[in-house]
Amino acid sequence: MHNRLRIELIIERMAYKRACRILEASGVTGYTILPALAGFGGGNRWQRDTDISSSVDMVVVVTITDEEKGTTALQEIERLLGNHIGVVNVSDVRVLRADRF
Amino acid sequence: MDVAISTLLSPIILFFLLGMGAALLRSQMSIPEAFAKGLAIYLMMSIGLKGGVEMAKNPLTLDIGLSLLAGIFLSFAIPILAFVLLRVTTKLDRTNAAAVSAHYGSISIVTFVAATEAVRLSGLDSSGHMVAIAALMETPAIITALILALRGRQPEPGGVAGSERGELVREVALNASVVVLVGALLIGWVAGEDGMEPIAPFFIAPFQGVLCLFLLDMGLNAGRGLRNGWRTLGTTTIGFGLYMPLISALVAGAICLALPINTGDAALLITLAASASYIAVPAAMRLALPQAQPSVYLTLSLGVTFPFNVTLGIPIYIYLASLVTG
Repeated sequence: MHNRLRIELIIERMAYKRACRILEASGVTGYTILPALAGFGGGNRWQRDTDISSSVDMVVVVTITDEEKGTTALQEIERLLGNHIGVVNVSDVRVLRADRF
Repeated sequence: MDVAISTLLSPIILFFLLGMGAALLRSQMSIPEAFAKGLAIYLMMSIGLKGGVEMAKNPLTLDIGLSLLAGIFLSFAIPILAFVLLRVTTKLDRTNAAAVSAHYGSISIVTFVAATEAVRLSGLDSSGHMVAIAALMETPAIITALILALRGRQPEPGGVAGSERGELVREVALNASVVVLVGALLIGWVAGEDGMEPIAPFFIAPFQGVLCLFLLDMGLNAGRGLRNGWRTLGTTTIGFGLYMPLISALVAGAICLALPINTGDAALLITLAASASYIAVPAAMRLALPQAQPSVYLTLSLGVTFPFNVTLGIPIYIYLASLVTG
């Protein structure tokens, strides 16, 4: 097993493409995007079913990468989150196939 | 008065009120997101096709060209008026005031559809070109609002991380409502009445029933938006959501005085000016002005102005149109 960095970004749907461009530019080999159903933040509740403009709901972007690429990506993601609604968390994970990440 | 009562008691508005009431009473009722989006596309296709067929019957004239220009002018100009009023009467900062003003300069296609039905119920005629005017009025307001927001502000060094200039242009110019409306309008125009006949049982006959279903969902959205977001709005901001449509209507009414336009078309142009976007503009604002709070502009346009327009606004705008067109 090999040590890698797992970056999970919960970000507003309208900005996820920007986040993905950052990940791609920093050299990560892949990411997955998951829809979010509903949530609460900034004093407001939101729900995907009642967001007709798709402008306030969130998605989750998950990527696993090595330390160097992850650090590069996180610097730009921090700048992105200065403007957009989002939460980022990073964790150490172990992967089976190191060459994939 | 009869128009007001028949509009308020039409199944379309009653379903909207049912949805809004259910949401305010915290009912768990919901319409799945994908289904609601499908309904919205159906309605835009239907209204676009009908408009296109009408356009094929009546060629473009100078009078219609003037109405098109009036619509574009209104969409560019109303955000300036809205921005000044917001800055003077509310505590919103420049960015939030600009974002809200973009919503009021742009249009609500559902309000337009509801107004089209109300105009028809009133026995008035409207031309298919009004659909083209609706599509043209979607985006100019966004440009004005961005100029208002960014005037005198230093651009961020390097811009927003990960952003791409084409992204916003695509969102503004090629958002779903513009593509479907303009596309269906052109298809209806090319197909004409004969081409429309085989698809009429799908796009014409069920239209009102689908509109009821969609407005039930819109009622739920408006009610939940208002319930969740009203705390973020001050009294003066909520007041803006109620008086701004009337001011926009008066501006549009004044322009109609100078236009060779019939009462039905004038009512629709006034309604378009008075309506506020809650689909295309919020998405564009999240990309272009992410610092602006969606809880302010979305609650205001969807939770305050939209219910006002579909219940009380439309009869007022039809009355105003009858006054200005004599």
